[in-house]
Amino acid sequence: MTMKTLVLKVNGVEYELKVRVTATLAEVLREELGLIGTKIMCNEGECGACTVLVNGRPVLSCMTLAIEAENKDILTIEGLADPATGDLHPIQKAFVERSGMQCGVCTSGMILTAKALLDENHDPSEDDIRNALSGNLCRCGNYRRITECVLAAAEKMRGGGGND
Amino acid sequence: MTEEFSIIGKNLIRKDDIEKVKGQARYTPDTQLPVSIVGKSVVRKDAIEKVKGQARYIPDIQLPAMLHAKFLRSPYAHARIKSIDTSKAEALPGVKCVLTHQNVPKVHPLRKFEYLIDDTVHHPGEEVAAVAALTPEIAEEALKLIEVEYEVLPAVFNLEEAMKPGAPLAHQEYGTNIYHGTDLSHIPRLDKDGWLRLEVGDVGKGFTEADYILDGTCESPIQYNCSPMPRAVVCEWAGDKLTCWADTQLPLMLWQDLASSFGIPQSDVRLICNYAVGGYGGKKPEKTATLTAILAKRTGRPVKTVFSRAEDFIGTHHRISYKNYNKIGVKKDGTITAMYSRIIANWGSDTPEPYVCQGSALVHACTMMYEWQNSKVETCGVLTNILGYGAMNGFGDPEAIISIERIIDEAAEKIDMDPVEFRFKNCMRYGDKAMEWHQVVYGPIEWGILGPDMDSFPELIQKCAEKAQWKIKWKGWRTPVSIEGNKKKGIGIAIGQHHTQFFPCSAIVKMNQDGTANVLSGAVEMGQGYATAVAQVVAETLGIRYEDVNPTLADTAATPAYFGNVASAGTSSAVNATKLAAEEVKRKLLELAAPRLNASAEDLEARDGNIWVKGTNNKVPIADICFTNFQVTGTANNPPLTAIRDEKTGKVIHPYAAAATIAEVEVDTETGQVEVIRITSAHDSGRTINPVICENQIDLGLTMANGWARTEEYIIDSKTGVLMNPNLLDYKLLTFLDIPKDDDLQRIVVERPCAWGPYGAKGMSETSMTALAPAIANAIYNAIGVRVYDGSLTAENVLRAIEKAQKRQ
Repeated sequence: MTMKTLVLKVNGVEYELKVRVTATLAEVLREELGLIGTKIMCNEGECGACTVLVNGRPVLSCMTLAIEAENKDILTIEGLADPATGDLHPIQKAFVERSGMQCGVCTSGMILTAKALLDENHDPSEDDIRNALSGNLCRCGNYRRITECVLAAAEKMRGGGGND
Repeated sequence: MTEEFSIIGKNLIRKDDIEKVKGQARYTPDTQLPVSIVGKSVVRKDAIEKVKGQARYIPDIQLPAMLHAKFLRSPYAHARIKSIDTSKAEALPGVKCVLTHQNVPKVHPLRKFEYLIDDTVHHPGEEVAAVAALTPEIAEEALKLIEVEYEVLPAVFNLEEAMKPGAPLAHQEYGTNIYHGTDLSHIPRLDKDGWLRLEVGDVGKGFTEADYILDGTCESPIQYNCSPMPRAVVCEWAGDKLTCWADTQLPLMLWQDLASSFGIPQSDVRLICNYAVGGYGGKKPEKTATLTAILAKRTGRPVKTVFSRAEDFIGTHHRISYKNYNKIGVKKDGTITAMYSRIIANWGSDTPEPYVCQGSALVHACTMMYEWQNSKVETCGVLTNILGYGAMNGFGDPEAIISIERIIDEAAEKIDMDPVEFRFKNCMRYGDKAMEWHQVVYGPIEWGILGPDMDSFPELIQKCAEKAQWKIKWKGWRTPVSIEGNKKKGIGIAIGQHHTQFFPCSAIVKMNQDGTANVLSGAVEMGQGYATAVAQVVAETLGIRYEDVNPTLADTAATPAYFGNVASAGTSSAVNATKLAAEEVKRKLLELAAPRLNASAEDLEARDGNIWVKGTNNKVPIADICFTNFQVTGTANNPPLTAIRDEKTGKVIHPYAAAATIAEVEVDTETGQVEVIRITSAHDSGRTINPVICENQIDLGLTMANGWARTEEYIIDSKTGVLMNPNLLDYKLLTFLDIPKDDDLQRIVVERPCAWGPYGAKGMSETSMTALAPAIANAIYNAIGVRVYDGSLTAENVLRAIEKAQKRQ
């Protein structure tokens, strides 16, 4: 089993790790770094639950080799709250206030994908949101509710909400 | 300054609460409840940890020295294991234990036909070996080194084939493919021919009184539960005591199963079920838990099993499939004179829940749902060599209702009656006969009634129709709402119902020294919002803040055992028990406060975190009472269902909930593609504890029913029984793009307090699954004048039906 030493930058922190060359980013985040917020629902790139942001773009971490993620900025759900104050990101707050989850397995992927959208498009329409999140499955059927949460977060962020 | 404490609405004590606790409830239909009660959509108890990624699910558990388990699965549907050689696997570095039928105890897991690992497999994907190794990769490698010689046996997959004389037997020693019980599983009311029957009135006479008789068949599709977390379990022994972390909705069954499989006392088995993840019915690790526990025992290390998605497809369970036949007799004035139903169910190779589905359908859908006086229904279960069915959302009712609601539509058309009016006239309501599903399976046949809460049913239909603008859009039978080129829009209605069982259940409420409370309950938070509902109800009852109540759930070392979060029973049963326990605590608090306030307990009330003398400013903080009396604890059990009786008739009130759903579709007649563009769905909650969570549950059922009807094809190879699409690209769940937008998804909730549940609240989650699928089918009929009965409402099937109809013309 070929191993490789690499440095991964996750949520602003650099980690030196020795991983199998075949290890996925999802595995390494979860098993090596204990960042269990990235969920595995299919492990085959079909559901979007394992989404993390790599250099700001949503990426399926179960379909990404850990070695591919070297020298990139990786953001997981654990890195979303304000590092100084611990305050939730407005998208997280919107999900909390409006019950944007039931079982919670799709939640990390939904929030991060929504963040990538809102960072680029501050005033998305309902169609924009549905399209951006179309690769994220929610078996609990909360598509309408999640759309509401993202719309609410977008409005808050436009109002200068930031991380308050 | 008093804080607003209406956590689920105004604080109230019902006139009948005390009688109910004493087991003498007589429901008072005119119980006065404050008019504008709407529960508060408080923040979920589990919201913050879920958005922060801190919620720890079973696959997230990491224990020191933990091993990983993988399973070798049969490629054949029906085969005997002639030989199995695990020596190479055992020799692989990192492999710690290998199990086969040769070295596991001969005990029966929850599914009763075979042993844990048997020398014969009965469905493709059944386990033949288990491996525990240092890493999942090593375990996978080890599976490849196990050498198995199979003797392939004749198999049968199809219902009709399995019922023919001389058909291959799904279980060779069983002698027949018609289920008739086993040594471990007895179905008392099964007739000698293996059929279960229920009859009311006189169908023969009823049919003679009809102006029209219609009949038809409809086979309901299989559906894969697709829990977001595939099956997972972690087991660890400390000496001869087992701890098992299990992702399950049914703690009690698993707890008993583990204890009996190992022959150890239940007190030595600790089952922890948080966080469970909705299996949408029946999620439990079954024999996977026992096998994982055996691996843990033999290696002396904790072992974790996590199924892959493909494994979860082929190795867990799915929704039962019914071949329905219905015959209905109807009069011109819209009276239903008789109803006959026959249900033949494809069981697959085995099931842990024999006859629960069909028992439910026989009572609920086929005998109660419309208040027909004459009905007969009969059903049998047929064993085949596909994966066995388990519980899935609606559990027995949607599979029958998908057929009944089509023939009801046909009957309404025959007499040229508006389908909304037809259902409004005939749907079940307060005072109509009702029974529990288990009575038709185990007896006795004793009819009770539906309670006053079920006068919600006609109200639901009416409100649904109003909201959907039915009177404007419905232009008559076979007249689409609109036509634009190839695209035809149609509208259709269906109704549904399901029980919300009132189970025995215990709960403990324990006050902490600072006046906050922990609620110990054996039920499970799996995403449905159970922990939140409990905290709201207990806080309301005790007069303390919602933030100060923390549920401790589903840990058999600490919480009273609970059967399971199934049958939409959570609100009705489990939350109710916590309310009763809180009332017990409140009585104690009042007693303890009385001497301090120089009053007697009857003059006291709990409110705003204090105990008050009613009508005065005299109070003592609950925290003070708890600080000096730190043993304040309350325990309670639900009264039996037979204690819940109607005041007028004295009959037992049975717990049900209803739904009415109107769907608007757009059908492309060139491609057959169906889009569901608008859904209006009405439900009754008894009393809504948390409106947003209630809506979320409705959305779950609607989305699942939408997918079941249109896109979630479960494709089994007819020659091998193998599932052809065990992945989420080829098994198509709905996405954001398939759901109606914005205001085109309307949920309506009607509140009529029920007799048994906390503050009149009842469970209603599965009900939301029961009406949409046939509503879509009925809307398609309205759009294109063609009824699609076979298979899913995919573009292919709809087009085929259109072409068939054109050929006939």
